[in-house]
Amino acid sequence: MGATGLSLIAFLIGHVSGNLLIFAGEHAFNAYGHALISNPMIYVAEAGLLLLFVSHFVTGIVLTKENRDARPIGYQRNDRAGGASRKSLASTTMILSGLVLLAFVPLHVNAFKFGAFYESAAEPGVRDLRRLVIETFSAPAYTAGYVIVLAIIGFHLWHGFGSAFESLGVGYSKALKRFGQALALIITVAFISIPLVIYLSEGAL
Amino acid sequence: MNEISVKLRVWRQASADAEGKLQDYKVENVVPDMSFLEMLDVLNEGLARRGEDVIAFDSDCREGICGCCSLTINGVPHGRGTGKTTCQLYMRDFADGETITVEPFRAKAFPVVKDLVVDRSAFDGIMAAGGYVSVNTGAAPDGNQIAIGKDIADKAFDAAACIGCGACVAACKNAAAFLFVGAKVTQLALLPQGHPERERRVIRMVDTMEEAGFGNCTNEAECEAVCPKEISTAHITKLNREYARALLKLS
Ligand code: HEM
Ligand code: FES
Repeated sequence: MGATGLSLIAFLIGHVSGNLLIFAGEHAFNAYGHALISNPMIYVAEAGLLLLFVSHFVTGIVLTKENRDARPIGYQRNDRAGGASRKSLASTTMILSGLVLLAFVPLHVNAFKFGAFYESAAEPGVRDLRRLVIETFSAPAYTAGYVIVLAIIGFHLWHGFGSAFESLGVGYSKALKRFGQALALIITVAFISIPLVIYLSEGAL
Repeated sequence: MNEISVKLRVWRQASADAEGKLQDYKVENVVPDMSFLEMLDVLNEGLARRGEDVIAFDSDCREGICGCCSLTINGVPHGRGTGKTTCQLYMRDFADGETITVEPFRAKAFPVVKDLVVDRSAFDGIMAAGGYVSVNTGAAPDGNQIAIGKDIADKAFDAAACIGCGACVAACKNAAAFLFVGAKVTQLALLPQGHPERERRVIRMVDTMEEAGFGNCTNEAECEAVCPKEISTAHITKLNREYARALLKLS
């Protein structure tokens, strides 16, 4: 869980950094996209990513099932212990935030990777992915949906980042936990800025 | 000192297979300096006098050492507050007229025997799987024969403070036993006497823990918050590290 989760976070950081190039103009973004898909290594990277994602959510679902089975009869009154406890809304809803991501990712890949192929007017043979992104996020419902899902990703990482270091045997520290939460916030805000800016600027990015 | 009265909602279950339910009781004349268990004794004396079935609950030392007193009080194992067992919980922590819910420790691996008594022999099974050192017990060895640094001895002692009460399991939303197993594994992994069996010990103890039906740790530290000996989740991280190390070494 920890290893796959952290690897997925590393991917997300790369993904959002690349996406932010959309603010650097048409050429920068489309050239970046072109460089990615024209590199034959892309298939290896995609297969690796798929493997990480699948093993993460399969283990997540199996472990959650085991954890529920471990207490067949629950408490009638169930309070938080307080004190040293780090239990939070984020930590108790990992399976829910995870399942939202599981539903989201195929839709997301379908919308962009397998979405409309526009050819760049300026650079023939290059896909104008930027146009597709801008068109997509001009729809208010689409933008709103993305903002919500991206916030849920942040929520998953709010607990997930620090938790992974404990699972991997590295250790817990308040500083590391805070760092993870700051990272979750930065990743989320960076991702959300894209649909939001496009929508608010009415596509005139 | 002013006596108080409390309303109890106590889990009653006639036997392991019987249906259980919460039953209401009123306890009058509670002296605030009574421990929670003494208050239950008073209630039981009243029940016995009336010829009713007394509430079954575990206790032995009544001084925070044996780990018997396995009650979940108002949703928190051993009740609210840090570093204590149920026998060290006092009625002065409750308000006059307060309603207090009392339930057994809940986990598939800790089945209810009767009322508030649960069977924690799953912990014994984990200990039997590796929580020991197989030393040649000839004559008593010289206490200082194996020198152990103070820092290591202190850390091992922190882990050895675990009394095996099971509150960690009862508090965890996954009924995981990682804090218990972490404390036991850490204690022996730190000391030279534990080194010869270090790898197979952690593997066997973790396997036995899983077979017993405990859940998995999701790093939420409810266990540390309720541990009467305030054992830190650093022992869980150490357990994860020991397990990974053992897998690497044995493969
Ligand atoms: C962008 C994708 C995702 C990232 C970056 C991510 C990241 C993480 C991280 C870092 C952890 C903590 C691991 C640990 O404590 O050892 C975690 C836990 C978890 N993830 Fe994900 N995750 C993602 C997608 C998913 C999906 C699709 C599911 C589907 C069910 C899921 C379910 C879970 C569950 C149930 C846990 C809790 C397990 C635990 O706390 O030990 N995650 N995730
Ligand atoms: S009765 Fe021994 S610890 Fe409470």
